[in-house]
Amino acid sequence: MTVAAEVRALRSGAVVGAGDHLACVRVRGAGAHDLLDRVSPRELFVRSGQLLHTVLLDDAALPIADVYIGCDDDDYLVIAEGMSGPAVADYLAAHAHGLDAAIEDTSASHAFLCLGGPYAWEVLAELTTPDVIGLPYLGFFHEPRFSCFRAGKTGEYGYDLWIARDRLPAVRERLAEVGRAFDLTEISPDGLAVAALENWFWNPRRDVRPGLTPIELQLQWRVTYGRAFPGSEALAARRRKVRQRAVLAVSPAELADDAAITIGDRSVGSVLHAEWSPTREEWIALALLDRPIAHAGLAGLVAHTRAGAAPVRTLSAPAVNNRSLYVDPQRHSYATRHLETFSPLVRA
Amino acid sequence: MTSLSDLEAQVAPREALLDRLRALLVERLHLSREVDELDPDAPLFGSGFGLDSLDAVELVVCLESEFGVRVGDAIALRQVFRSLNTMTDLVLAERGQP
Repeated sequence: MTVAAEVRALRSGAVVGAGDHLACVRVRGAGAHDLLDRVSPRELFVRSGQLLHTVLLDDAALPIADVYIGCDDDDYLVIAEGMSGPAVADYLAAHAHGLDAAIEDTSASHAFLCLGGPYAWEVLAELTTPDVIGLPYLGFFHEPRFSCFRAGKTGEYGYDLWIARDRLPAVRERLAEVGRAFDLTEISPDGLAVAALENWFWNPRRDVRPGLTPIELQLQWRVTYGRAFPGSEALAARRRKVRQRAVLAVSPAELADDAAITIGDRSVGSVLHAEWSPTREEWIALALLDRPIAHAGLAGLVAHTRAGAAPVRTLSAPAVNNRSLYVDPQRHSYATRHLETFSPLVRA
Repeated sequence: MTSLSDLEAQVAPREALLDRLRALLVERLHLSREVDELDPDAPLFGSGFGLDSLDAVELVVCLESEFGVRVGDAIALRQVFRSLNTMTDLVLAERGQP
């Protein structure tokens, strides 16, 4: 199956894919909260069973991992993308001086499955119980076979299942059984990455460059200024001299990573990360533009790739009018989807 | 051919609207953020600025009282209230300045 077909299945039904890009580290001990509070750029206000979405920064304030921090009774879970489990554990250990905190990377014992799509909730309800329909965004629960985090980076209903590796085959098999009624489709890491870009989720495997902090990446919502965390001083200094900002850009012609963007003969930025968008049926990119013009709604820009000059316009994120905004588990069902009229996936 | 000054002219009304919307979020929704922290594409609800359904009602009132824009369709609101930029898109479209 092509990436385009995977993304179309994600946007209209339900998909499942290996979450090998995710790692989970458990932190135990009396100092667990203080350790996570020390490294989290965002104020660590999270109740048991909830996740906080933030990033991990290096000392230069460059985001190095996209993380959810979960409070699990007295423990904390760090679900990371962009860093391996051992690397996250090392990062935490490097900031744990003076604290009673046991840090356990679970990569060897556990794996993730990513379930997503406007009807993913219905697949999960069949796999577990209908109660899961009420699980709020950024909530999680444990059941005997796995832990389920309502998260995901596709803009659709998303559930990351954290499963002991010895139970993974049985869960996979059961998912395949219940998934038949939902045409459950396998999605690749590339498919998940394209969907994430369509929905304006920062990709820690692609959108990392020297000098790009949460300010340039429009990730300031994941930061609380005025507190101390790795990179906080560099970030505060950066705030006073921002020169560029990332915006969403589209083109009917092929775009490529690092392509220069010009207006007339003047360089005004570059493409950070480009993909073909199956949902929009055009090229889509995270573009880094000079701050005075780094806005949605621009037309007349040109990206220069090996294939030639590509006209570029910018738009408001996300690039997709997700069906999950409109699918209501109390009213809708995959089986009766043809009877419903939903807003188009792409805004005019 | 589009020039830099053309782009700056395109940007000006959006920038002005974004500034007004940022101020509204801080003053009327009491968002504990500095205005320069409110990135235009950041999610307003859920994991982003953490606005809730009461804030959504206040935003509807703000759109009407401050910009003369009525959004009566609850379905349309879900798209409009995704970010400051999507709210700005609506106001600009109502003014005939897409």
